[in-house]
Amino acid sequence: MHEFLSKAVEDKSIVWFKASNNYIILEEIAAQLVHQILENKTPQKIATGLAEKLTISEQEALKAVHDLNNRIVIPNTTKSKEEQISKSKYILPTSFAFQKHYHIHNKVFKVEFANEFQLSLLHPKFAHLETQETSKIEHTFQVFNANHLIHLVLDGECIGAWESENIHYFQGKFSMKIIECIYTKSEAEWMGVFHASAVNYNDENILILGDSGNGKSTSLALLQAQGFQCIADDFVPIDQAQNVYSFPAGISIKKNALPVLLEEYPELETSAEYHYERLNKTVRYLPPQKIDYSKAAPCKALVFIKYDATIDFEISKMSKLKAFEHLVPDSWISSSPKNAASFLDWFEKMPCYQLTYSNNELMYSAIKRIFEDDL
Amino acid sequence: MKSTDPKKDNVSDEFTISRKEALKKIGKYGKYTALTALGTFIILHPKKAQATSVDNSGLIAPGADGFFD
Repeated sequence: MHEFLSKAVEDKSIVWFKASNNYIILEEIAAQLVHQILENKTPQKIATGLAEKLTISEQEALKAVHDLNNRIVIPNTTKSKEEQISKSKYILPTSFAFQKHYHIHNKVFKVEFANEFQLSLLHPKFAHLETQETSKIEHTFQVFNANHLIHLVLDGECIGAWESENIHYFQGKFSMKIIECIYTKSEAEWMGVFHASAVNYNDENILILGDSGNGKSTSLALLQAQGFQCIADDFVPIDQAQNVYSFPAGISIKKNALPVLLEEYPELETSAEYHYERLNKTVRYLPPQKIDYSKAAPCKALVFIKYDATIDFEISKMSKLKAFEHLVPDSWISSSPKNAASFLDWFEKMPCYQLTYSNNELMYSAIKRIFEDDL
Repeated sequence: MKSTDPKKDNVSDEFTISRKEALKKIGKYGKYTALTALGTFIILHPKKAQATSVDNSGLIAPGADGFFD
């Protein structure tokens, strides 16, 4: 039997196939047909039931069943060649140009970089965690180029190698390994990592989502200044038990957000600036305040945020199916059936909101009211 | 059915149908809508591995002025 999950959401069903790790939104009746196909019922028998249900001819029903089988079931139950993280043969450099040590939670990480460019890919986000205390190193990363690929080695084991256009996956893997080490949880124990900011209030979390440039990080920085706790920016890990964990990377502040934040964070005026030439963007990193690694807590809601200078404040409940469409392609979700099931259960419970604003006070108030079940 | 209302004398007979015929037509469209809906779906695929925002992964010119400060 193919590993397969199904969940009713609003007026549709969401199904998941292990072989493809695809989530598919379809009509409830189509989901029922998929179930029957996977249970190896004959197409004729399925069609007979469908013809009766929809009051159509058996011929039409059979055509519909074959169509579903060819377009959904077969492509998603054929195990595709798993994209392996490239692990080319390499020779480890004999020396590294740069060495940094970072104190994260209760561990010290040593990271060796072969050149300045590689340093620039990781160090800025973690600079505030740098430590001179190097007597007890728990884990050592090594970053270097070989065969035109950027390699990442952890404690002597090659984690992967990436082409230049996949640098964001290299950075993501580094962050994931940090998370696995500090919380002593293997990758299989994590439900997913979400492209979001996360904020905590009274031991509950809200995930702030949205397209790049919509204001997730800026909103997080503003909320932190109001006393909400920063949990994570851009990279939010949630474990199989559906708890959100802290990730201490710096909050990414784009140049155009500086005027909004300088009042709360005057230190940003003189903080280090990093220029991303290819994207023509300049970014500074704001250290998260009082990161609490022990504060793994559940998620209260998903808020899709957008800063819009022309709109004072608007908030509305969002269609969960629409939220799902935005959430999944932007997230890494573990492909194990246990984690996929946890993800669907988690999402089913999650209220989703659309918040558009330029009035900061109203934004703070709305977030607080969501936390207090007062919206 | 021909209309006896003088105001409707200019309405062509081919657009005048009985209630029974009208319900039959609506019923047919309902089934076709249901069939179309059966074949309508959205496939969503999560990222193949953990990733940071593409925004933060742009290539930086090494040695650029203001690169590290």
